[in-house]
Amino acid sequence: MTVQAPKKTPGFRLPKDTLRFVLLCIQALIFLAPLYWMVTTAFKTDGDAIAQPVQWFPANPTLENFNIILNTPDANILRWAWNSLFTSVAYTVAHLFVACLTAYPFARMKFKGREQWFWFLLASMMIPNIVTLIPLYIMMIDFNWIDSYHVLIWPGVANVFGVFMMRQFFSSIPVELEEAARLDGANSLVIFFRILLPLSVPALVTLGVFSFLGAWNNYLWPQFMVHGDMLTLPVGIGNFTMRYGIEYGKLMAGATITAIPVLLVYVFAQKYIEQGMTLTGLKE
Amino acid sequence: MLKTATKPTATKRSIFALNESNPLVPYLYLVPHAILFFVFFVYPIGYGVWVSMHRWDPLNTISPYVGLEFYTNLFDPNKIQAQFFWKSVVNTCIFVAWSVPALVVVALLLAVQLQKPILFRGFFRTVFFSPGILSVSVVAILWRWVFDNGNGLVNVVRRDVFNLPIINYMTDENIVWLPIVIATIWWTVGFNMNLYLAAMSGISQSYYEAAELDGANGFQKFWHITLPLLQPTTLFVAVTTVLASFNLYGQSVLMTNGGPSRSTQSVIHYITEEGFTNNQFSSATAMSFVFGLIMLVFTVIQFRMMAKDVTRSRGN
Repeated sequence: MTVQAPKKTPGFRLPKDTLRFVLLCIQALIFLAPLYWMVTTAFKTDGDAIAQPVQWFPANPTLENFNIILNTPDANILRWAWNSLFTSVAYTVAHLFVACLTAYPFARMKFKGREQWFWFLLASMMIPNIVTLIPLYIMMIDFNWIDSYHVLIWPGVANVFGVFMMRQFFSSIPVELEEAARLDGANSLVIFFRILLPLSVPALVTLGVFSFLGAWNNYLWPQFMVHGDMLTLPVGIGNFTMRYGIEYGKLMAGATITAIPVLLVYVFAQKYIEQGMTLTGLKE
Repeated sequence: MLKTATKPTATKRSIFALNESNPLVPYLYLVPHAILFFVFFVYPIGYGVWVSMHRWDPLNTISPYVGLEFYTNLFDPNKIQAQFFWKSVVNTCIFVAWSVPALVVVALLLAVQLQKPILFRGFFRTVFFSPGILSVSVVAILWRWVFDNGNGLVNVVRRDVFNLPIINYMTDENIVWLPIVIATIWWTVGFNMNLYLAAMSGISQSYYEAAELDGANGFQKFWHITLPLLQPTTLFVAVTTVLASFNLYGQSVLMTNGGPSRSTQSVIHYITEEGFTNNQFSSATAMSFVFGLIMLVFTVIQFRMMAKDVTRSRGN
């Protein structure tokens, strides 16, 4: 993108902020163009999608693509969406619970082997995921978990990143609160549930949003672990590229159905996602 | 807040008591995670070593021992696995080499523009970040259409707006990485941008004010103040992006299916093909260990770079 440098002549000088704003608008348009192209194609007939000259706005808007996509007998989109929603929520709850439970003693208790075990967990984060893919698949066959919800929920629950993040957060909570409760006879479970967890809501929401999005958008793992009606939405929609090849109207309808809900959720969870990124500084 | 009456109960000395007097308490909290961690992480690695040294077949009850055969195969140029595997390693490295600098530079450029307050700043941040929450299948399906050989958005603009000839992005080996890299930038650059914005908000304004007194222009301020102070962030962004890019899978599978003629097949794609399509689970496991080792070397080098960087900036 080349932009004329603002002229020095006082009368023609473009205020810097306006220039910056215009530049940003152009870039925002470039970022939004593919999404616009996706949504408008979803409403075009197959002929209009490849018409020459191009239709920047659908000439004969139609819901036919959505109709076909939603009513294909062997592509149960609503079921896939439910699978994704249910397993992502279940995973998020289990992950948060286990991560907090584990982070608590690391942050607050002294015990033998604490440092060693913590470093072992941290070191495990350096091992790339691909290493366990095939052995885990064989184990899932032995567990008889292929095509079940278990396979989408449990294997990722012991993710170390959540432990690490919650430990950092718990460590930042003043110890005095705990000591006062202990004088009142509270045991560690009471302290955990009544003091630490309520004070950790921002961190929990952040970790929750990240866990949910990670599970919801996971592609590699469910692609090989579940099939047919047990598929998750991203994998099911991904398979459409094989099914519909270059029938872009239908492909874009499928992509639109998948994209719009997460984009809407994002608008509401945006604050937490941005906070969480600053807080964690890591992607999963 | 807890407001129970002052009634200091005597601490029970029993293994069922949940207080400090019971040395088992910390371990009780660790048990659920430890079990899951062993079952789904530690054991699979050990099991993978076993699988890679036997010929494991889903249709066979016995798995004969083959030693390091599947590993040595990968270093025997006559073996088809070796050819495809190392080609996929090279492909992945090409992707890393293209995507990482772009993802760092574009993220930095976007962040610089949003550094100072401006109208609709939150809106722009949302626009640049929001693709990051889409699933890879939506991203890939969408960009396959944008770069479609005949009627994709890019070619339509070339044809109808600029009167340029159409380019076969998806089937030309020389430029097929372009759609994949651009789709990846669009998808993930907002994440890096946010990391930069967070780092920039921590830079004291007094540096800029001092530079302004010395008559520094915008570019000079960026070059001599912002950029050096962002160096730890840049290193962090580069490290995480390199590791993320090594994991290339969905974009190339769904946009080009590894083609044309395996020129965009990533390592993970080839490992899954060898395992799940060719039913060569042991061979695929051996590959994943070799590739895991390559990635581990990168990770360690980069961690050491970061550690060095931190020590140096503390020393100053």
